[in-house]
Amino acid sequence: MTSSSRELVLDRIRRATSAEANRYEEIARGYIRTGTLDAQRRIGLMTERLREYGAAVSECSRAELPDTVAHQLQLSGRHHFVIPPGLPPEWPGNRADFKVDESLSHEEIEQCGGVVTAASAGISDSGTIVLHHGPGEGRRVISLLPDFHLCILRASQIVETLPEYFALFPQPPRLATYISGPSATADIEMTRIKGVHGPRFLSVIIVRDDA
Amino acid sequence: MSGPVMDPRIAPPFPEAALPILQNTQLRKNVAHATDVIQAKRNRLVAEKQDWQQLRSSASAIRAHVLANLTTYLEQFETKCTAAGGVVHWAKDAAEARSIILDILREENATEVIKIKTMTSAEIQLNPALEAAGIAAIETDLAELILQLGDDEPSHIVVPALHVNRRQVREIFARRMGLPELPDDPEALTAAARTYLRKKFLSVPTAISGANFLIAETGSVAIVESEGNGRMCLTLPRTLITLAGIEKVLPRFSDLEVLLQVLARSATGERLNPYNSLWSGVVPGDGPERFHVVLLDNGRSEILSRKVERQTLKCIRCAACLNTCPVYRQTGGHAYGSPYAGPIGAILTPQLEHMQHGQSLPYASSLCGACYEVCPVKINIPEVLIDLRARVVDQERAQPRRWTDPMYMGMKVANLAFASASRFRLAQAMGRLGLRLFTDKDGWIRKLPNLGARWTLSRDLPGLPNQTFRQWWTEREAGSIGERLRGKEAPR
Repeated sequence: MTSSSRELVLDRIRRATSAEANRYEEIARGYIRTGTLDAQRRIGLMTERLREYGAAVSECSRAELPDTVAHQLQLSGRHHFVIPPGLPPEWPGNRADFKVDESLSHEEIEQCGGVVTAASAGISDSGTIVLHHGPGEGRRVISLLPDFHLCILRASQIVETLPEYFALFPQPPRLATYISGPSATADIEMTRIKGVHGPRFLSVIIVRDDA
Repeated sequence: MSGPVMDPRIAPPFPEAALPILQNTQLRKNVAHATDVIQAKRNRLVAEKQDWQQLRSSASAIRAHVLANLTTYLEQFETKCTAAGGVVHWAKDAAEARSIILDILREENATEVIKIKTMTSAEIQLNPALEAAGIAAIETDLAELILQLGDDEPSHIVVPALHVNRRQVREIFARRMGLPELPDDPEALTAAARTYLRKKFLSVPTAISGANFLIAETGSVAIVESEGNGRMCLTLPRTLITLAGIEKVLPRFSDLEVLLQVLARSATGERLNPYNSLWSGVVPGDGPERFHVVLLDNGRSEILSRKVERQTLKCIRCAACLNTCPVYRQTGGHAYGSPYAGPIGAILTPQLEHMQHGQSLPYASSLCGACYEVCPVKINIPEVLIDLRARVVDQERAQPRRWTDPMYMGMKVANLAFASASRFRLAQAMGRLGLRLFTDKDGWIRKLPNLGARWTLSRDLPGLPNQTFRQWWTEREAGSIGERLRGKEAPR
C-alpha cells in the first residue's frame, strides 16, 4: 500500500509544482551571521544568559579545573555521578563517586544524582550549550535522566551567534541537543517552572584557554 | 460533561460554537492572560533582534523554496533517512497514516505508547484510533496531560491548556492521580506530573512524536520543546514513530540557523527553546533501535497546487497569529472545532478538509491583518482568507437551495440593481423610502428587520441623507454652468 501511496503523493506534488525552478543559492540571507563581541565579552554574555535561565556559571583556568569541578559537585549536594567515556580523566578528578557510562541501564543512570559532560559548542547570544553526543559528551540519556548536569565548556568553543555555530560544523552531526537553560514549563497560567523532566539543575564551567 | 468537538467534520459552525464560550468568563480570562503574557515576551525579544525582518524574509524564502521543490527534498530526505537506518512510510490521507501506525504498534505488541505533543496526530485523530485498538496513548507534554486527564481538548497550538487555570489543574490531578492533598501552586502540580510520568518514560517501549523540521540533507528530524518530555520519548523507548506533514522538510542542516531563531521568539518569546533535539535514523547504542517516519499528505498536495493558498504550507506552527488575533483572544481555540485554531486554523482546517467542512472558519476573522504582521514566515493570512471566502461562496452558488437563501437572493437583486444606472437610481429611491420607516427622529437607525438585524444587533446605522451624491453633483454643476454663462468663475 505504502509504495503505491508514495508514487501517488509524489505525483500529486509534481503536478502541483511543475515548471517551477527555484535555486537554493538564490535565497536572500540578509540576517546577521557573525557577531561583534571580543572573546571576553562573549564569555560575559554567555554567563549572563545562562544565569538568566537560573543556571550556575563559574569560570576558571585549566589548572583550576579539578578544584572548580570538585567544588561544583559538592555544591550540588549529590554523591554519585555518571561520566561519559572520552572525558579527560583529569576533568572530573577523583573527589566524588564517578560511574563511567559503559552501557549502563536506564535505572543505573537514574540512580545517579548527576552527570558531568563536555560540550561541542556554546552560543552566547542565546546561552545555549550544544551537545553532539560524541566522546566526552556521551549518550543522550546520560545528560537527561540525572537531575543535575555539570557541563564543562572551553572558552574557545563559545561563538556569539547561532549562524556562527552552524558555520563551525559544515559536516552536520548525527545527533545534537541544544540546551538553553534547564527544563522548564509555563503550561500552568504561564508561570515559569524550572524542571519538568530534564535535569532541574544545570551548572556550567567555562574554562579559559590561557592554559 | 462532554468536551468540545475538535473534529471539523462534525463540529458546529464557528459562530454557533463561539456563543457559549463568549459567556464563559473564566475561560476568557484565562485565554486573555495567557495570550497577553506570551505576546509581551514575544514583542520584547523581537524588538531586541536587530535583524528580525531579514530573518523573517529568509525564513519565508526558505519555506517557499522548499514548497516549490518539494519532491526533490522529500526524496532526498527519504534516501538519507533510510541510509541512516530509518524506515520511511508515505500516507496519502489520515486513514492510511493511522493504519500504518497501528500496524507498526501491533508488530511491536504495544499496549501503551508515550507521545510528544503533536498537532499532526490530532489532525489525523490518532488517539481515538489507538484507543479502539486497545493501545493506551499517554500524552507526556504537561499541558496535553492536563487535557487528557481532564477529558478536555487543546485550545492553542503551543500552549494547549491555556484555558485551564491552576485550581482546575489541581482538581484534575488530585482526582486522576489519587493525590487529594495536592496544593494548587504550579510548582507542586508540575512536580506531580514529573513523578507520574517518570515511571512511564522508563517502562513504555514505544513512542510517537511529530516533527518541527525534517532535514533533507541529513535525513534527520528536529524537535523543539521546553520540558524534556520530548527528549525522554526520543531517547528511552526501543521504537520511535515520527508523524510529519510532507511540508515540514528543510533543505539543509544550516537552515535551522534561521528557522530556530524565528520559531522560538514567535512561539514562546525565547531566544531558543530550552531543548532542541536532532537525530538521523538509528544511532547504535544511543536511543531507539527502530525508527519510523510517516510522511503525511492528507490534503497538503492539493493546497500546494493552488497559487494563493500554497503559502499556508509555509507555517511552522508558532501560534503567534493566535496570540495576536482579536477573534481568537475572545473565543479561545475550541470555537474553531479543529486542532488548528486561530487565523492559521481558519485557513488550514477547511483546506485540509478539501473545503467540505469548516467553511465558516474563513469568516472567523475581521481581516485586520495582525496575523500577517507577526507571522515569522510571512504567510499573508488575510489574502488566503479572502480567497477561501470566495471558494465558499462559489460552493453556495452551486447549490439548489440558494434560491431560498435570503442572502443569496439579496445579492442577486443587488447585482441586478448595480448593473444599470437607471435601476440603481430606482433602487436608491426605494431604499430611501423604505429606510425612512426605520429611521429614528435623530436620524439614526437602531433596529432593522431580517438580515439587516445582524448589523443593528451590535451597531447603529446613520440614516440616509436627504440627497444622494449624484443629486448634489447635478445641482452643483447646473449652478456653476449658470455662473459661467453669467461670465463669472465657479467658486472653488
